[in-house]
Amino acid sequence: MHPATHPTASAPDGRTYRTPLLRRRLLRGLVAAVVALPLVGAAAACGDDAASDGKTTISIFWWGGEARAQLTEQALDLYTQKNPDVVFEKVWQANQGYFDKLATLTAGGNPPDIFQIDDNFLTEYAARNATLDLKPYQESGDLDTSKFPPSLLQYGVVDGKLAGLAAGENTQGLVYNKTLVTKNGLPEPTTGMSWEEHIAWAEEVSKKTGVPGTMDASAIDKAFWVWLRQQGKDLYSGNDLGFTVEDVTRWFELWKDARERGATPTPDVIHEGNATDITKQLVVTGKAATSWVWVNQMPELKKNTSDELGVIAYPGDPSGQWARASMYWSVFRGSKNADIAVDVINFLANDADAVKLLGTDRGLPSNLDLRRVVSDDTTDEAMKQSIAVETELAKTFGEAPQVPIKGHSKVRAELIKAAENAQYGRATPAESAAQFVEACKAAIAS
Amino acid sequence: MALTTAPDPTRRGTGSVRPDANRRGTGRIRHGEGLAGYVFLSPWLIGLMGITAIPMLLSLYLSFTNYDILTPWSEVEWVGLANYERMFTSDTSWWHSVRVTLSFALIAVPLKLAAALGVALLLNRAWRGVGLFRGLFYLPSLLGGSVALAIVWVNMFNRDGAFNSFLALFGIQGKPWVNDPDWALETLMVLAIWQFGAPMVIFLAGLKQVPTELYEAAAVDGAGKFRQFVNVTLPMLSPVIFFNLVLETINGFQGFTAAFVLSNGTGGPVDSTLMYTLNLYITGFTNLEMGYASAMAWVFLIAIAIITVIFFSTGRFWVHYSDGEDR
Repeated sequence: MHPATHPTASAPDGRTYRTPLLRRRLLRGLVAAVVALPLVGAAAACGDDAASDGKTTISIFWWGGEARAQLTEQALDLYTQKNPDVVFEKVWQANQGYFDKLATLTAGGNPPDIFQIDDNFLTEYAARNATLDLKPYQESGDLDTSKFPPSLLQYGVVDGKLAGLAAGENTQGLVYNKTLVTKNGLPEPTTGMSWEEHIAWAEEVSKKTGVPGTMDASAIDKAFWVWLRQQGKDLYSGNDLGFTVEDVTRWFELWKDARERGATPTPDVIHEGNATDITKQLVVTGKAATSWVWVNQMPELKKNTSDELGVIAYPGDPSGQWARASMYWSVFRGSKNADIAVDVINFLANDADAVKLLGTDRGLPSNLDLRRVVSDDTTDEAMKQSIAVETELAKTFGEAPQVPIKGHSKVRAELIKAAENAQYGRATPAESAAQFVEACKAAIAS
Repeated sequence: MALTTAPDPTRRGTGSVRPDANRRGTGRIRHGEGLAGYVFLSPWLIGLMGITAIPMLLSLYLSFTNYDILTPWSEVEWVGLANYERMFTSDTSWWHSVRVTLSFALIAVPLKLAAALGVALLLNRAWRGVGLFRGLFYLPSLLGGSVALAIVWVNMFNRDGAFNSFLALFGIQGKPWVNDPDWALETLMVLAIWQFGAPMVIFLAGLKQVPTELYEAAAVDGAGKFRQFVNVTLPMLSPVIFFNLVLETINGFQGFTAAFVLSNGTGGPVDSTLMYTLNLYITGFTNLEMGYASAMAWVFLIAIAIITVIFFSTGRFWVHYSDGEDR
């Protein structure tokens, strides 16, 4: 007996076998399709960089408002006009949540080629090698920084590498409600007033107008920093803190006194003002006569109020302030089109038309020649005002400090927490100060 | 002899081979069917593996590293138990977030269940239009953990919010609830309690299951309304209460959205709304300590698992299943 050749046996055999075989093939195909689908998708996504029409797509990510988005998009379109082979994938959003998103994109292996970053995070990214070192491009001349003020350029250097190119220059600016002050016959504040004079002035404003004269700045790191520099200290010194518990205690006590004299709003309103959102600044919401911001934010603030605004330096010796890179353009280290990306940020900094388009939205243009052109050409009153003030302040600028170190974003959060603890009266200035310094040490050690 | 002895083992052999062959044959068919099953399962399976299981295992691995999101995986350093050690020994903000979360869950969950049960009792009648009321009370929980709702809540409980305007009608000077570290968390609790619709609907369904004979019998025995509630309603409802308790406790621990919106993602004022999950988020995405955040997530998972086990093991003392008289 040879079962294999038996016709009656092979027929049913064949039938029982064929069906599963076919089914199996079909199923294999299905499985393969299911498994392959995401791969195909991924492959398609990879193909984006060099699209079939030979164009290169550069992804770019920034934070800001509607106005900044428009200006930036126009400037990038201008680049595409001049370089038709390069197109952009533009993504922007509000400041809140920007860095969470940027970190997530980076972790997901899908970071933008170019991203906007500021000194709060530059070191966090540079120290972790997420940013491309721009030094070689600078040396080869592909990145032209010859018209940049040296200190501004230096403020983008982390560990000897050029981690970000300053997209603009700004400095601290104290914005006050001019209409409110003059209407009530009060003197306008001036640059060079001491901190005590500022608080006395604010107390006077509170009494006369019913609007608290000044926002409590104890939780605002940029104000604390200027104040420290005026005391001969600094926020950081090397990889350590540049201040002591005693310094912080004095700073918190200064503001405790201000609160007790009625120069500031109540703690819950101060808490609102501590939010970074520009539309929540108390000078705009009418809950205080003064807000602690950056000079280049004047035009944006002006859009949110019908009152006249004035801007001066923070109190104390104005040499405590410095030419700060308001924000930078950085190129992701793993970008496949790094050369083009660098060319784009070079264009945004040095092309006359692009710089004119961008104006002072990100601060005064870094290119000094073009800065002059922009300030001569602008018709926006608030922009003119901020340029005039910053140009004036530039005469007395002190030396730029080192870029904040790794852990700085946590230090800022801790300052808010400690200052609010004192503001709500849950701790004395000395207690909050001790708590803050301890938290800072932990933050910069890890 | 060799021939006669040979068949024996071969027969035994074929005997043992045949079932094997059979098994293989059926195995083949089963294999095919199994494959079909997996194909039909694949959307779910890929989802479970890709979105839940694999990331969870990766996070377990990451919890023993110093992963910081920005550094490529290949350069991540193994730090052993350092993350867990730091959590329990030196991280004050971690302990703080544990306290905030516990006090949130301990207060909000019982009150939410009490509100749900109370309203369910009121609505468990054949009044006209009772369906409308059930719908209205259920409505808030449809909005769930939505961002829009949290924003409305923040504006309602501001210094110049609707709630304070309401208080002002009675000459009461309100507080800046959401911006006051003593009240911000309580505001979030009220929000959670207000969304009692989901447990309420489940309670309603449970109440319908209680046989009316029991109440009649209790009434005959002279039990008043309160006695009836304590001795009939509560025991009969205990499985439903248990279910709601477990579910709402887990939900309560995981509260995130409202705290995030209220505090602009900071946990403020003065960390008063720093819920565990929010702290975890800040640690991972703002402070870029994703390895540490992963460790926090695993401790959280284990803590919730322990609490659930405790519920289940104490359940037998107070949960009565109506079909379990014979137990």
